[in-house]
Amino acid sequence: MNDPMEDINRAPLPTEKTLKQRKNVLMQLMRFAAINIKMIKMIRKGHHPME
Amino acid sequence: MARIVILGAGIAGHTAALHAKKMLGKNHEIVVISPNSNYNWIPSNIWVGVGKMNKEQVVFPLAPVYKRKKIEFHQALAQSIYPEGLNGSKPFVEAKITGPERNGEVERIEYDFLVNATGPKLNFAATPGLGPDGNSVSVCTSGHAVEAAAKLEDVIAKLKAGQRQTLAIGVGHGTCTCEGAAFEYTFNVDHELRRAGVRDLAEVVYITNEHELGDFGVGGMVFSQQGFQTSSKMWTESLFRERGIKAILSAHVSKVDPAVIHYELVDGTIGELPFDFAMLLPPFRGVDLKAFDASGADISEKIFAPSGFMKVDADYSGKPYEEWVASDWPKTYRNPLYPNMFAVGIAFAPPHQISKPRKSPNGTLIAPSPPRTGMPSGIMGKTAVLSIKEILKNGESGHIPTASMADMGAACVASAGSGLTHGSAASMTMYPVVPDYQKYPNTGRSLDDTYGEIGLAGHWIKLLLHYMFIYKAKARFGWFLIPE
Repeated sequence: MNDPMEDINRAPLPTEKTLKQRKNVLMQLMRFAAINIKMIKMIRKGHHPME
Repeated sequence: MARIVILGAGIAGHTAALHAKKMLGKNHEIVVISPNSNYNWIPSNIWVGVGKMNKEQVVFPLAPVYKRKKIEFHQALAQSIYPEGLNGSKPFVEAKITGPERNGEVERIEYDFLVNATGPKLNFAATPGLGPDGNSVSVCTSGHAVEAAAKLEDVIAKLKAGQRQTLAIGVGHGTCTCEGAAFEYTFNVDHELRRAGVRDLAEVVYITNEHELGDFGVGGMVFSQQGFQTSSKMWTESLFRERGIKAILSAHVSKVDPAVIHYELVDGTIGELPFDFAMLLPPFRGVDLKAFDASGADISEKIFAPSGFMKVDADYSGKPYEEWVASDWPKTYRNPLYPNMFAVGIAFAPPHQISKPRKSPNGTLIAPSPPRTGMPSGIMGKTAVLSIKEILKNGESGHIPTASMADMGAACVASAGSGLTHGSAASMTMYPVVPDYQKYPNTGRSLDDTYGEIGLAGHWIKLLLHYMFIYKAKARFGWFLIPE
């Protein structure tokens, strides 16, 4: 039987810089605000049952 | 005065009950029938399942909330619906009491409008050996999650003692849904193994019915990032590679023995995965609910799809997958035969899969079922109440609101590890949930509103949602200002 595990060896790996950015509290505070804005915008767009 | 009866007190049912009381409660009766005494904020069960939260943090008793809001609560399991009544009576539901008083008695609860929000039956029986009564654990209920956490702790102890362990996490049948929850649990387990300093001795394997990583039962997503269109496949594969998690895709788990998962792949290959710890989610089907007409004849087949979920205003003609369109999806969630019955959340029968269904050469169906939990469930519950309000005010000539999943967005935050400074999560938004290839020809969804990002901020958002939605479910001051 062939190896049943999916071959993901060519999937892009994040760089050290990206990994650090994902954990950096100051940067993530900004991302927190940005993601919330995106979510609110999307919720407003798709959350209007009377229209 | 109309009587609005809501079956179920999960995200859809409880949201419907609170909005019904707020919008209609002055002049109409609101009744909730649920077999459970507690509300469970299910998205946080993931954290209970890795021991980062205790059960009490994700559940609270429903009765005090309903007493305070003056909503009639029956702790009972709905068994039968009589949408025409019986012998001249009004329509009613028969329910078996599960509460401590009069336990086991069957009561009859009449209604003018019925909102079916029963959620799923956790169909562990579909796969021999699957589930807490078999050889794997689950995080579907808070109780299951507590058990999963205890078994995970045992595994971590063995790893600390130098024993290699294999942890298999995923879905336990070819037709499961909620792959997002399995994904979350996988990465939370990985995170806890790293925190315990034992990740190098553990092999973590994700086993799923998804054809590609990042499918999540919604056919995957396309994002616009840094001037390129990228896919949730690439994004998810990257995360799996970074964390060293292996994946078995397009798998139907056929049996779970005490230490071996038996599976079949879409190409017909039969395989075995030995494990020391297995968390496999079950497939869902509709709860055991029957329907009878005024003569007492069983009309369940007319009301419910073969999956046991209630039929609503969707296209159930069974056309080939390639021919479906976004407009096949229900808009009002009203039963076509009895329009005073609604089915919302997981309880409604979806017209077809969103991810492409596939069959193995042996004829085994491997097809992720469409997710309809969380935010869409809440929106459907509220929409059903708005419809009832409109019908009560203006009759059928009124403007009945719609909330098709093909015109509804969803925000999903998939935890990838807990911790205020070291946690992470994948924050995703998609619009619409059901792709509309007529409106968005290439990607099925709006590139402006379909988005994904991994980082610590996602964990904070998931934690914020936990507290915010439990606050809302407790109907505290201003609860209705929090969107579904």
